Amino acid sequence: MTSVQITIEDLQDLPEGKAVKLIHVVGQLDESNVDEQAKAIYQLIETAPHGLSLIFDFMGLEYMNSKSIGYLTDWYSKVSANGGKVVIAGARDNILDILQVVGLTQLVNAYPTIDEAKLAVLK
Amino acid sequence: MQGYLSLSCKCGRIIRFNRFMDLTPATQNTQLEQTPEQAQAMLSVKEFVPALDEKPLEIKIAIPTQAYFLSGIRDFVVNLTKNLTGFSQQWAYRFQAVTDELCNNAIEHGSQVGAEVRVILISAHGKYLEVVVEDTGTGKDKMTAQQLTALYKERRQSMTSEYLGFRGRGLPKIVGEWTDELIFEDIPGGGIRVKAKKYLRKEEDRVFSAKQNDPSHITI
Repeated sequence: MTSVQITIEDLQDLPEGKAVKLIHVVGQLDESNVDEQAKAIYQLIETAPHGLSLIFDFMGLEYMNSKSIGYLTDWYSKVSANGGKVVIAGARDNILDILQVVGLTQLVNAYPTIDEAKLAVLK
Repeated sequence: MQGYLSLSCKCGRIIRFNRFMDLTPATQNTQLEQTPEQAQAMLSVKEFVPALDEKPLEIKIAIPTQAYFLSGIRDFVVNLTKNLTGFSQQWAYRFQAVTDELCNNAIEHGSQVGAEVRVILISAHGKYLEVVVEDTGTGKDKMTAQQLTALYKERRQSMTSEYLGFRGRGLPKIVGEWTDELIFEDIPGGGIRVKAKKYLRKEEDRVFSAKQNDPSHITI
C-alpha cells in the first residue's frame, strides 16, 4: 500500500456558529489506499454539525488519482449540501494541474496558503 | 519487490539490463527521489542517449495485477520523462497520471488477480512520448476495443466541468486531455491494448522551459 497520512484538526478561535476542520494529507493518494483513507473523512462529514467547512491542506500531497478526485467531489457535494464550504490549501503544481484538467477547480477553490483558505471559508 | 527492466530500440538494437529493478512503492515524500537502482538505471540509459535521440527508446515493464506496484511505476515514469524524453517537468507529472490511470483501468477491469499488466513506454526524444498498456482480457469487466472506444467517446462528450459523479474521470479527462492520440486495440488471444501518445510540438512543453533551480530536473 502506498504511504499516505491523513490527520484532522479543529480550527480554533472561530466566530460563533462556525466550524472548520483542517485536514492534512501527506503522501500519495492512489488506488491502493484511497478507499481506506476516505472512511475517516466520510465519518467526519456524517457526524458534522450544520455548516461544517473543510480545508484540505495539500502541501504534503504528492499524487492523487482520478478516484481520489472522485472522493473529493463527493465530499464537496455532501459538505455543500450541509451548508459548508470545501477549499484546498497549498497544493503543488502537479496536483493543481490534475484538479484543473478534470474541472474540479471550478467547484472547489484552491489557495496558496492555509491562512488564505481560512479567510475564504470564514467569509 | 522486483521486476525486470528491459530496453530495446525499434531499429533492433537491444539494451539489456541484466538485473532486476526495484519496484517497491515509494515511501512518503520520496516522489522526486530515485532509488539507487533507478538512478543507476538512468545513468546507464544516458550513456545511450546520443543513439536514442535518433531511434525511439522502448521500455517494457510487466507488473502483477495489484495497485501496490503502481507507485513504483509512477516514480519511474516521472524520472524517465523528465530525464530522457525532452518533455518538461509538467508533462512528466501529466504522463505519470496518464500511465497510472491506464494501469488502474487494466488492473481493475482488464486482468484478473494473478495475471499481469504490461506497460510499454516509447520515447522519440524531442518528438513524442507514448505509453502502451496491455491487459489480459481476463478481468471482471471484459470489453472489446470497439466497446471501449464507444464508451470513451460517450464520456468525452457528456462529461462537463460540473460533473459531480464519483468515477469515470480517468480516461476521458486525464488521459483524453493530456494525449494527442488514443487508440484501443484488441489483442489477438484476448485483452485490450491502449496506446496513448503525446507529441512534443510546443516550445513551452520542452524540458528547457521547466522552472529554474529545480534540482530534480536534469537537462540532457
